[in-house]
Parts: sequence; C-alpha cells; structure tokens
Amino acid sequence: MTPNYAVRTVAIVTLGFLILPVIIVIPMSFSSASSMSFPPPGLSLRWYSSFFGSSVWVSATITSAVLALISSTLGLLLGSMASYGLCRRRIMQRGIIESNFMAPMILPTIITAVALYIAFAKIGLLGTLIGLVMAHTILLVPYVMVVMNVAFRSFDLRQEQVSWTMGASWYTTMRRVVLPQLGPNLFAAWVFAFVHSFDEVVVTSFIAGTYNTVPKQMFSELILEISPTITAVATLLIAFTVASLAGATLIMKRSVQTV
Amino acid sequence: MSDIRLSKIRKDYGIFTAVADVDLHVVNGEFLTILGPSGSGKTTLLALIAGLSGPTGGQMHIGSQDVTYTPPQGRNIGLVFQSYALFPHMTVAENVAFPLEVRKWSRSKKDEAVGRVLQMMQLGALSSRKPSQLSGGQQQRVALARAIVFQPNILLLDEPLGALDKKLREELQVELKQLQRRLGITTLLVTHDQEEALSMGDRVMILNEGKVQQIATPEIAYLQPANRFVAEFLGTANIVSVSDGSSRKGILRPERLLLRTSAGTNKGVATVVSDLVYLGQTVRYYLSAADGTSFIAVRPFVGPKFALGSAVNVSWTEEDVWPID
Ligand SMILES: Nc1ncnc2c1ncn2[C@@H]1O[C@H](COP(=O)(O)OP(=O)(O)O)[C@@H](O)[C@H]1O
Ligand SMILES: [Mg+2]
Repeated sequence: MTPNYAVRTVAIVTLGFLILPVIIVIPMSFSSASSMSFPPPGLSLRWYSSFFGSSVWVSATITSAVLALISSTLGLLLGSMASYGLCRRRIMQRGIIESNFMAPMILPTIITAVALYIAFAKIGLLGTLIGLVMAHTILLVPYVMVVMNVAFRSFDLRQEQVSWTMGASWYTTMRRVVLPQLGPNLFAAWVFAFVHSFDEVVVTSFIAGTYNTVPKQMFSELILEISPTITAVATLLIAFTVASLAGATLIMKRSVQTV
Repeated sequence: MSDIRLSKIRKDYGIFTAVADVDLHVVNGEFLTILGPSGSGKTTLLALIAGLSGPTGGQMHIGSQDVTYTPPQGRNIGLVFQSYALFPHMTVAENVAFPLEVRKWSRSKKDEAVGRVLQMMQLGALSSRKPSQLSGGQQQRVALARAIVFQPNILLLDEPLGALDKKLREELQVELKQLQRRLGITTLLVTHDQEEALSMGDRVMILNEGKVQQIATPEIAYLQPANRFVAEFLGTANIVSVSDGSSRKGILRPERLLLRTSAGTNKGVATVVSDLVYLGQTVRYYLSAADGTSFIAVRPFVGPKFALGSAVNVSWTEEDVWPID
C-alpha cells in the first residue's frame, strides 16, 4: 500500500462515516413500518402524510420559516452595513469591533444561549417572537459578514470614488453602482443566514418559551418517543439545505465567471 | 471652467506626511502635469483636490469657492483613474450617461450630450458594449468620456495612460492634449513618466516625498532645474564644475556636449568611449576620462560616429551649464 493510497482510504472511510447516517435517514423516511427500522420492509409516504397532517409539525415549520425569513433579512441588512463600514472606514480598534460582531459564530453556542437567556429574562423578551428574531439576527450577522467582507474587500473603492465625484450621493452610489454588482454575494449571504436560522436549536431552546421551531420540535420528540415522522422531517430538511446551499454556490460561481 | 488655488495643503497619516504644504495655482484652462516617483504623493494630492480625502492643513479654492472641506459631489470635477474604474455592469452608453442621470438632466438633453461625447471619443459604434468587451485604449476613452460629459470645471487624470503600451500611449497623449485644448478645461495629469510630463504639460510640477520641488514650464524645468533631484529626474544630467571660481556644481544635458575625435583637437576633456547605445534616431555615448569623471552624451544618428574605445574630446559652452545646489 502506498501512503497516498492509505490517505485516500482513510479519507473515504471518514467521509462515509459522516455521510452514511444522513443517507440512511432518507430510505427510512419512506418506510411502511410503524417503528423505525432499517432496511425498510416496504415503501410508503405515510410518515410524510403524518408530518403534513400534524398541526404541531406544521405550526413549527411556519414558525421556523417566519423566523428565518425575518431574521435572515435583518441579519443581511445589519451584517452588510457592518461589513461595509469596517471595510471602508478607518476605525480605531477595528479588531475589537469586528470580533464583537463575529463572537456569536466563534463562541460556544451554549454561552451565547445562556447570555441571551439572562439578558432577555431581565428585559422581558423571553418566549417572545421579537426576542427570537433578535437572538437569531445576532447569530446570523457574522455569517453574513463573512460572505460580505470578501465581497466588499475585493470591490474596487475607486468605482465608488468616481461615482461620488460625478455627483452621486453615497446612497445613490450604493444603489446604482455597488449593490447591483454584489447581488450574487448578497443572495448567498442571505441563503446561508436563512439556512442557519432554520437549523438553529441551542439558543432557540433556551429563549423560545412556548414557540416551537422545527429543530426544537425534533429534539422534544426524540426525548419523548422516537416516531418515524422525524425521519421524514430530517429528509425534508436535508433536501432543503442541500438545494439552498447548492443554489447559492452556483450563483456565486456564475458571478465570478461573468465579472 | 475654473482655476485652482492650493495654499499650504498638507496630508499627514499619523507621523507620515504624504503631502507637505503644497502651494499651487493652476490657472483657468491650464494643463498641469504632476510628475514624481512612486510614493511621492501624486495620487494623494489628486484625492485632496477631488475631495476624496480631507486635508490635515491648508486651504483650497476652486474659482472663488472655498472647497477645503467640500465633499466630492460638490466640486464638479471629472476624474479618471489609471484602472479606469468603469462600472462593469453598465454599457458604455450607460456609463457615460451616469453623471447626467445623477444630475437629473432631462432625457433629451442627456441623450444629446451622451451621443455627442461618444462620437467625439469615437465610441459611437461601441455604445451598447460592456466594458469587459473593450480593449484597454477603448476603456480609457470611455473613462474620459464619462469624466467630461457633465462639463466639469476641472479634469483630474491619475496616470490615465499608464496601463497602455507605448505606441497607443503616444497616440492618446496627442489626442488628450487636443481634447483638452478644444474644451479649454483646467486639467491636472499625474504621471511618473518624465517624457509624458514634459510633452503634455503647459507647466510641470515635480513632487518628491510629498514636497514640491519645482513648478515651471517643461523647458525651464528641463534646462534650469531647481535642484539636483529635478535635474536627474527629468533626464540624464552631467554634473560639471561651474567655472566661476567657486566650488559650485552645474548640470549639462547630454545633447549639449560637443564631441570631437582627440586626433583633431586638444580642446576639452580627453575621454574614451566606454559604451554606446543606439536608440533609433539618436546614439547615446558613455565617456570616461582618465581622472574617473564620466559623461553621457546624446548625438543624432546621422552625423559623425565614434567607435567603442575610441578617444574623444568632450567640450561645452559655459552658458549651457545650469548651476545647482
Ligand atoms: N491611507 C493611507 N494611509 C497611510 N499612508 C498612505 C495612505 N495613502 C497613501 N499613503 C502613503 O502616502 C505616500 C504617497 O502615496 P501616493 O499619493 O499614492 O503616491 P504616488 O501616487 O505618488 O505613487 C505613500 O508613501 C503611501 O504609502
Ligand atoms: Mg499614484
């Protein structure tokens, strides 16, 4: 065995180990058996109909979608502005400010969760939709900033400067010159943020109160009883995540090629 | 159309001074070239005039208006960068129309102005192309068209021809100069190419380490440089003693040296041709004297030639020596 071959084998085994459990969920979700079993004895869509027929799951899905939609849009707005400001302005202590924004991504999520729990308890935001939106927005800003920092840093400042000398205000320059060229980056940042919000469970569990999101509901179900409905939910989540990220990646790639 | 007046304009970055107390008066319709080595503060000075960067000292007037702290939108200045900074998502026509749209010109007035400028810059056939579909020279023209279409008072050009090859650059130098004369627009052109600075400017300003070394007509700057830096930056300079009894040095341009074969005369300094370079229309001779002094002379290609290693006497007229230091 050559070393190269050994490395390759390890890589393939590791990848298989990571992906296999995810893959196994998919056939299980189409199982006709009334408890989780692999391989499935027969095929059916009963767990999908159980998912869509359950008011708990449907309302959790709606909460997740609304929450993800609002907080990813807010995160996109705030994260992009923070990123632009930090890229373009000479600011003292830029490092400190930037790490402050990035902290929710770097700190263990549980710390952010406890911190938000304590803070929200004090100001009465626990268990409110506003509290959830705020918490998710804070968590999403660094994801947006990672994408937009690259975009703004590689954007030629001189295009903006020329636009200003031609009489365009900062706002007009943003709208007519900068943003049209960064559409794909903004879209990708928004998708990453949306997917991340949809996926978030730790902070949500701490502060959501009676609100139920899809991942939070999955957790509760797993604790109580293991229903195969959860495999259908998991499969839908996988499909949604893969499709969104693939779409975002594709659009980013295409924009790189055309510019 | 306006004149520009800078008094004691400076720009400090912390303890580093990028532009040091520049005094400058560019008269209405003048073409001023700004020449200096890389890092001498040329771009910083243009950015200060354009309002893209605020001065840390001094005052600036355009016409009668004090613009020291006026934002770039309020200065009515056309700007062209070396990288052109065209908007890649807009067509040529949209790029050129942009300043007019921002200024809310009426549709008919706008179309008329864009059409006229595109035609003037020979871009009519390219108006619906994107910048990425243009050659470097064409992009340069679009950038220029966009900078003049709104009839700015002043045109600022930061090494606008620096990215082009020599032949195209020479063509565009002539075009640009003609355009500037036709429009009569006060123009500042930054370059690090001394030939470009001397051939294009009504006056040339030489910068070094953020300080003005000299502001003069090309001829004066070339033949009567203010100091040794200017003398050497504007071309080859032979340093000789001034024969007024003092220990002062003076400079002599290479084309001012007279060369004769040593066999025919004993006038001047006896030297040997240590190297020679053919430059097309001229020949450049490197001459070494016995005491270690060296000279550089430029002679027309037609006329007497001197072979490598041959003995040559170098002489000059005293009026051609310009004292420095
Ligand atoms: N934002 C800045 N911060 C610190 N130093 C700067 C900044 N911009 C320019 N400089 C410095 O000022 C000097 C002049 O720069 P510049 O005007 O770009 O020179 P030039 O255009 O003549 O090559 C350089 O040494 C450069 O490093
Ligand atoms: Mg420069």
